[in-house]
Amino acid sequence: MFAYIIRRVLYMIPTIFAVALLVFLLFHEVGEDPVRVALGPHASPEKIAALEAKWGLDQPLTVQFGGFLREIVTMDFGRSYVTDEKLSGLFKEGAWVSLSLTAPPFILGLLLNVALSLLIAFYRGSWFDKLSTALFIISMSISYLVYIIGFQYLFAFQLDWFPINGYSWGVASVPYLMLPILIMLFVRAGPEIRLYRTVFLDETSEDYVRTARAKGLSENKILFKHILKNAMIPILTNTVTAIPFLVLGAFLMERFFSLPGVGDLMITAINTGDFPVLKGLCMFIAIGYSVFMLLTDILYAYVDPRVKLG
Amino acid sequence: MNTTGKRLLIVGLALALWGCTKPITEYNEDGSIKKIFHHFRTAAHKSLDPQKQFDSASAELITAVYDTLLGYHYLKRPYQLTPNLVTQMPELSEDGLTYRFDLRQDVYFQDDPCFPNGKGRQLQVDDVIYTFKRFADYNVNSFSYGTLMQGYIQGMDEFRTQTQKLGAEKTDYAKLHISGVKKTGPFQFEMTLTQPIPMALLPLAASQMAIVPREAVAHYGIDFKHHPVGSGPFRISQYSRRGEMRLKKNPNYHRTYPVEGEPGDLEAGFLKDAGKKMPLIDEVRLPLIEESQPRMLKFRRGRLDWVGVDKENFTKMAIKEGDSFRLIPELEGRFQHYYAPYLFSGYWLFNMKDPVLGNACQPEEGNPEDANSACAKRRARNKAVRQAMAYALDTDTYIDKMRNGRGLKLNTIVPIPIAGSEKDTGSKWYSYNLKRAKEKLAEAGYPGGKGLPPIKVEYAGTSTGSQQDGEFFRRAFAAIGVELQPQYQTFSAYLQKTDSGNFQVSSSAWSADYPDAENFYQLLYGPNGPPGPNHGAYLNEQYDALYLKSKYMPNGPDRYAVFREMAAILKEEVPFLLQVSPISFGLYQNWLGNMKRHMMIDAPYAYINIDSALKQKGVK
Repeated sequence: MFAYIIRRVLYMIPTIFAVALLVFLLFHEVGEDPVRVALGPHASPEKIAALEAKWGLDQPLTVQFGGFLREIVTMDFGRSYVTDEKLSGLFKEGAWVSLSLTAPPFILGLLLNVALSLLIAFYRGSWFDKLSTALFIISMSISYLVYIIGFQYLFAFQLDWFPINGYSWGVASVPYLMLPILIMLFVRAGPEIRLYRTVFLDETSEDYVRTARAKGLSENKILFKHILKNAMIPILTNTVTAIPFLVLGAFLMERFFSLPGVGDLMITAINTGDFPVLKGLCMFIAIGYSVFMLLTDILYAYVDPRVKLG
Repeated sequence: MNTTGKRLLIVGLALALWGCTKPITEYNEDGSIKKIFHHFRTAAHKSLDPQKQFDSASAELITAVYDTLLGYHYLKRPYQLTPNLVTQMPELSEDGLTYRFDLRQDVYFQDDPCFPNGKGRQLQVDDVIYTFKRFADYNVNSFSYGTLMQGYIQGMDEFRTQTQKLGAEKTDYAKLHISGVKKTGPFQFEMTLTQPIPMALLPLAASQMAIVPREAVAHYGIDFKHHPVGSGPFRISQYSRRGEMRLKKNPNYHRTYPVEGEPGDLEAGFLKDAGKKMPLIDEVRLPLIEESQPRMLKFRRGRLDWVGVDKENFTKMAIKEGDSFRLIPELEGRFQHYYAPYLFSGYWLFNMKDPVLGNACQPEEGNPEDANSACAKRRARNKAVRQAMAYALDTDTYIDKMRNGRGLKLNTIVPIPIAGSEKDTGSKWYSYNLKRAKEKLAEAGYPGGKGLPPIKVEYAGTSTGSQQDGEFFRRAFAAIGVELQPQYQTFSAYLQKTDSGNFQVSSSAWSADYPDAENFYQLLYGPNGPPGPNHGAYLNEQYDALYLKSKYMPNGPDRYAVFREMAAILKEEVPFLLQVSPISFGLYQNWLGNMKRHMMIDAPYAYINIDSALKQKGVK
């Protein structure tokens, strides 16, 4: 196991290097020019040159890329080009907001969606299965934005059950997060329940289920003890690999509900060519994704004894 | 948990949920209802360092926290300067070169850890001189020096050059001085100009010239842009750049509400608070709300006091009647509205070096230029194309269809509220005339547009709005056979093209740095060529001479006559296609007082008032 982990960690290095190279090239080729954006219209060539020198953008690309790799190793991406704020502070603040927004629907959604899909799988072929399938397909066909606008109008404006938007720090943030969390729960339900239902149905046709039934086990026991455990691998994959993205928040949600999370931070950074912010966030996600993929593989071994790591 | 416990929990949660949506009345220490102005920001500020900012989101906060030597009269129109940190308007010497300033002695910086014992100290002349130096320092101010002050004050340009040579590390304000700014007492100083310049005081009201204490700059260093320490009407009580900024009233603020306005102000209730100490409210709350839907929903529930209305919401809420606007019947009485033209001009700029559209041409060696020379013919041909395009542009339809009627057709580059605009000069731009447009195109040798290459127009953005604009103009010019190719791109890509003069036509705009016609006529002044604001490289010696003459004249018939001549040259030469001066349309709640839109005071927080009793009833 230990050797496997070491090997996987070593495999991460070229992956992260490739991501870094891609981010770097994309920024230089298609992104906004941060110097132009910072100086605005009618900047003199001297000012452009001075700012390029200050930010090291006058260096050859190889030198700049070398600096980027050094930042990855030290995990110190410096300060934002646009506001001069320390990125550590920006990320910390934004990640807390984003996680407060995405983690509750992620956990609650996982529990609810697994339970509901088990129930639907249990009643497969019934009117309940057919109705829920139809409803979830309809819900999946509607744009995310429609839910945001519609729910905000109905539940916050018309019914006044929730604040229309805004954010406060600490416990005071709860009221502001409730409606966005409800929307996310609702939006996640369709695709996840459809996926998990299929996974559960695939399992129900397996030999071990037939054997269990032949042995006279109750349907509840078959579902919750046997099918659920065997279906965990695709559920784990779907779940654990999504964890690094939680910190990225949900851009549209953050924008419409005025939540100062990382999603909005990232979009603003793209629009203003704020490369340090982009670099930091992209690499954070890339490293997080690699780590959580490794974690998923390790969890496979625990969930399914047939899986051997080595 | 027993049944009673569960019930209590459910009731508690329900109450918490209900309570969190209902605005809570807040009280001051003396028991009075706290007057809280709820507004919003549409973009996060970049820098609250006055000398290091140029975005409007930053300027709005800076004007609330800092103070400038001079300000604008809140009620009088046209816009006029008033004393702010000075006891009276500065006196000008007989030779017209030296202004004498006398600072108020009741102005203090807000309490801040940067001061000894955290107690804000008195604002003195040294702070003013320090601010002048920071403003002129090449290493500090990258944005506004050239537009606002270059060439105005004796020794200031030289000071800037020296700071550029020395760099940030070696620049020492104790050793470097601006010869034209002299301290004559602890509260007195003189500012000497390079030549008599009537508009030299205007930059002193700009947010970039807000007075900063050196202790704060030294104490916070690079983070000074996030720790403002001013002497303005408010101080920041909650700093959250991407969340909610909160401003708390500065109880020691020195200014009072104006006691006089213009005719009609008394009747309109704008003088109810005449002479009262400002600010008139206790707090300002400014969440960042980037999308219009939540803004409008909050406003309709009374949880925002004032909103600007965008294109989509305008059609649902208001109706244009002739030159005025009114709310739809369902909203009348529920909200108040205002409309006023921005100090902003939108236009297309031709690149005068473009072989198809421009007028630049090098005569062949040995063949001096005359009316029959190749150059002269090319110039005449290209000018006819530009004139054809000017005739083909139906600005009224553009304003009606693309801006819901919220705009004024421009007849000169100067927005209408500014002295020296078309209302003072009587100048006229081209009127929509397809027949004349086609004739001009034929005169240029392109009958029906045949032989004329497609024309590329550069847009600074890829938004739907830009694309709708581009499509409108593409269709408009297709009517005379001109093929337009709008180019939508990122802001920096646009700047790279326009600042280097590498374009045919650019969709451009200019917003007033100060309310003077010069600020707009300089857009065509030859020496301001790329990367300057005259990025179309328009060059006309006669125009340049008139511009320089007008620059040093006071407003009045003589100056307007010069502007009239300049406008006539531009009409004949067509270096740009004038389009629109947009109109700001907004709504505010019935409980909000003193809401008179002032385009040079974007954040009028110090002037507005709130009727708390009415607000309590009105918020849902």
